[in-house]
Amino acid sequence: MKQEKNHKSLKNIDSHGHVRGESIYVDDIAVQQGTLYGAVHDSRVAHGLLKHINVRKAQALPGVVAVFTAADVPGENQIGGIIPDEPLLADKEVHFWGQPIAFVVAQTEDIAREAAQLIEAEITPLPVITDPREAKEKGELIAPPRTFVLGDTAAAWQACTHVYSGQASTNGQEHLYIETQGAYAYPAENGNIKIHSSTQGPTAVQKTTARVLGLPMHAIEVDVTRLGGGFGGKEDQATPWAVMVALAVHHLKRPVKYVLHRMDDMRMTGKRNPYTSDFKIGLDENLKIIAYEATFYQNAGAAADLSPAVLERTLFHCTNSYYVPNVTATAYSCRTNLPPNTAFRGFGGPQGMFVIEAAIAKAAQALGVSAAEIQQKNLLQAGDTFPYGQKAENPEAISSWSAATNRYALDHLAQKVNAFNVANTHHKKGYALMPICFGISFTKTLMNQARALVHIYHDGSVGVSTGAVEMGQGVNTKMLQVAAQVFSIANERIKLETTNTTRVANTSPSAASATADLNGKALEIACRKLLDRLKVVAAEELDLTSVTGVTVREGWVHVQGQKTDLDWNTLVLQAFLKRVSLSEVGHYATPRIHFDQSKEKGHPFAYHVYGTAITEVTVDCIRGTYEFDAVKIVHDFGASMNTIVDKGQIEGGLVQGIGWMTLEELEYNKQGKLLSNALSTYKIPDIYSVPKDIQVEFLAAEGSDLAIFKSKAVGEPPLMYGIGAYFAILNAVRAFNPQVTSVFDAPFTPEKVLTALYE
Amino acid sequence: MKISFTINGKTQTVEADENTPLLWVIRDGLGLKGTKFGCGKAACGACTVQVDGGAVRSCSYAVKFAQGKSITTIEGLSQGKELHPVQQAWVEEIVPQCGYCQPGFMMATAALLDKIPQPSDDDIDENIVNVCRCGTYYRMRKAIHRAAKIKQS
Repeated sequence: MKQEKNHKSLKNIDSHGHVRGESIYVDDIAVQQGTLYGAVHDSRVAHGLLKHINVRKAQALPGVVAVFTAADVPGENQIGGIIPDEPLLADKEVHFWGQPIAFVVAQTEDIAREAAQLIEAEITPLPVITDPREAKEKGELIAPPRTFVLGDTAAAWQACTHVYSGQASTNGQEHLYIETQGAYAYPAENGNIKIHSSTQGPTAVQKTTARVLGLPMHAIEVDVTRLGGGFGGKEDQATPWAVMVALAVHHLKRPVKYVLHRMDDMRMTGKRNPYTSDFKIGLDENLKIIAYEATFYQNAGAAADLSPAVLERTLFHCTNSYYVPNVTATAYSCRTNLPPNTAFRGFGGPQGMFVIEAAIAKAAQALGVSAAEIQQKNLLQAGDTFPYGQKAENPEAISSWSAATNRYALDHLAQKVNAFNVANTHHKKGYALMPICFGISFTKTLMNQARALVHIYHDGSVGVSTGAVEMGQGVNTKMLQVAAQVFSIANERIKLETTNTTRVANTSPSAASATADLNGKALEIACRKLLDRLKVVAAEELDLTSVTGVTVREGWVHVQGQKTDLDWNTLVLQAFLKRVSLSEVGHYATPRIHFDQSKEKGHPFAYHVYGTAITEVTVDCIRGTYEFDAVKIVHDFGASMNTIVDKGQIEGGLVQGIGWMTLEELEYNKQGKLLSNALSTYKIPDIYSVPKDIQVEFLAAEGSDLAIFKSKAVGEPPLMYGIGAYFAILNAVRAFNPQVTSVFDAPFTPEKVLTALYE
Repeated sequence: MKISFTINGKTQTVEADENTPLLWVIRDGLGLKGTKFGCGKAACGACTVQVDGGAVRSCSYAVKFAQGKSITTIEGLSQGKELHPVQQAWVEEIVPQCGYCQPGFMMATAALLDKIPQPSDDDIDENIVNVCRCGTYYRMRKAIHRAAKIKQS
């Protein structure tokens, strides 16, 4: 028990490296002699015909070694994952401002960047679309639209006492991982290439590099130590830079490195998909939501990237934590001339959830009730059906709502806010509740598999490799806990290896919050197989007739609970001497999940994560600025296996969600040029703007068998607590200006707040 | 040109273009990789080092200005195995997630504590203006207060 407790409070295993500045990221890897440096020349036109690329001036610059264009691709000039619609380097056409056209390689980074500026691309401009509704009108869709249906909305409107409709929009969000994209590659023997990439998807990098170079996957080794932040921005979009350096290595047989400068990264990479949506909501006289219709227009950007999967998750989460018996939700993935938009923590879920929260807020205002009243009356109960056919098993929507409103004394807060608003003219307070429900699993069933490789060295130390990529979410700490707990040996005996495609192949990206579950379960399987073999050895060593009752506890073999004098190291050495394998692979595939896209029905999620946040804000009604007084959360962690790591995810996810809803204003002009193109023009939360108080309570819940050690996935769900920030501000604005018409257009920047206060 | 300065207690002379950002001299010239590139515009603070005890954003600080000065990077914040109070507080409050921006925050905090040994929340808001995308601010504020206490004792 004591040991278990220690595991639960195990600190991030990288802490000491991080605070000493010793942790290694791609740009910190010691480079080999003769390393060359890359730079991209990208399009300064958002849409056009690429007539000619003049590279002569660049090639003539002293220090330039080579300039690569689409013509130099030996395999397929294609990096599209879900749909093959995106070239590595533009060929014949350009489809977004920032699309890579040529890759320069030079003796130094400065020379490469200077040479990239000297390249002249002759482009005949074509009309530019930046608005998803316009794209849909013109038939520019990435894939056919998707519709989820439950019940019969057309018939249900008759039964509704109140029906409201409107529009809601959410802007995109720049990932702004502080470590920019980058990769370093060098030649191995026989034409093989090794790539160090800052990627969430090592296999995606490997597969795409092989495709572009026309090589088998085994010729490409991808290694990842850790990421300086990913947030979805390095799931698919870490790939092009890695492929480009590999292309150069392939031709030049020399090491090549490319780490993007911030403005290049912001200009050339896609963001969270902006959405604009229409909603219609119908309620009965008891405020039960009877029917809900939503049409989502996703701004996919110029290529599919992950947008079709993001779109799907918008539909999966279109009713958030609520049960609605009649739902029709349609989603269009619209092709525009922005950089291909992509995964970002929440993966379309937040965009869908914002719309139903807007619909509820609109209904509440019209009916003169609080949104919380409508929210509470419609929370999911056991056995309720989601629009995609899965039934809610052990939903914690009501329990987390009740726990939050009781624990944080909602009644008292409501009184406090009202009293403040009566007493103050120039400052107004508002609060909002935000329940969340988030499905865990990749919605593409086949991706829900993972493998782990465990070596026990004959001195008793252990090396663990999995497909999980450490990007700050603490997955390596959790993997270490799994091995330490199954073997019951000290944490120090276990080492987490880098994520490497030659040790663990065919990995799913570290995404969908499912990394710890999938890789942890695979690791648990591998460790248990090893432990079973070691127990047989122990029984032999101890002259027992059977392994029954043999266990390892805190580094010692026990029999029927009694400690023996056989310790872990001796046991392992004996196994080695007896020629028993001390290496094992574990394979895990999430059971019970399935989804039939032709019917849009199934059981796509292993389980759901729930929680409720209460957000309190004070708005300065002279300036339009605001300060978050507190965000108080009750979250369904299941049986958290590491409360420190998990709470950190809640705090950080919340801050990112608040940023998306308030400060972060992505701006493109009509020509498709990114205006918010640096940290001086794109504001993310800082220590000053985050809530003054963040409280996170653990909901008493048992967790799910499909979560590693019943500890539920925690990466993405908390981001959606940030949506509460929008509605808290809106409520404060209403206290000042009751006439304000509901505008649901996130982010609610101070500028928009000021407009709303005085409209 | 040749520029001489002290870095983490050692005297160094480097040969560099005088306008080269100090960051690249530290990282590429001297091989000290703990100081990070984040934005190149002195906006994010990942590259924060101390120059004569003050927090400086080395991505936008020309190396020529370092002539004759004393620079401390994250590698020089602690002496030997002992952690600096800021590092100790960071470990105890378990601040880092991805870790990338943290050296910059710790260098800024160490400079703040030299200037204001017991900073208020407002002092922190005004002085610790780096950014962390993992959103570790809540713990960071606690860690700054804790570091102040450790330093005092």
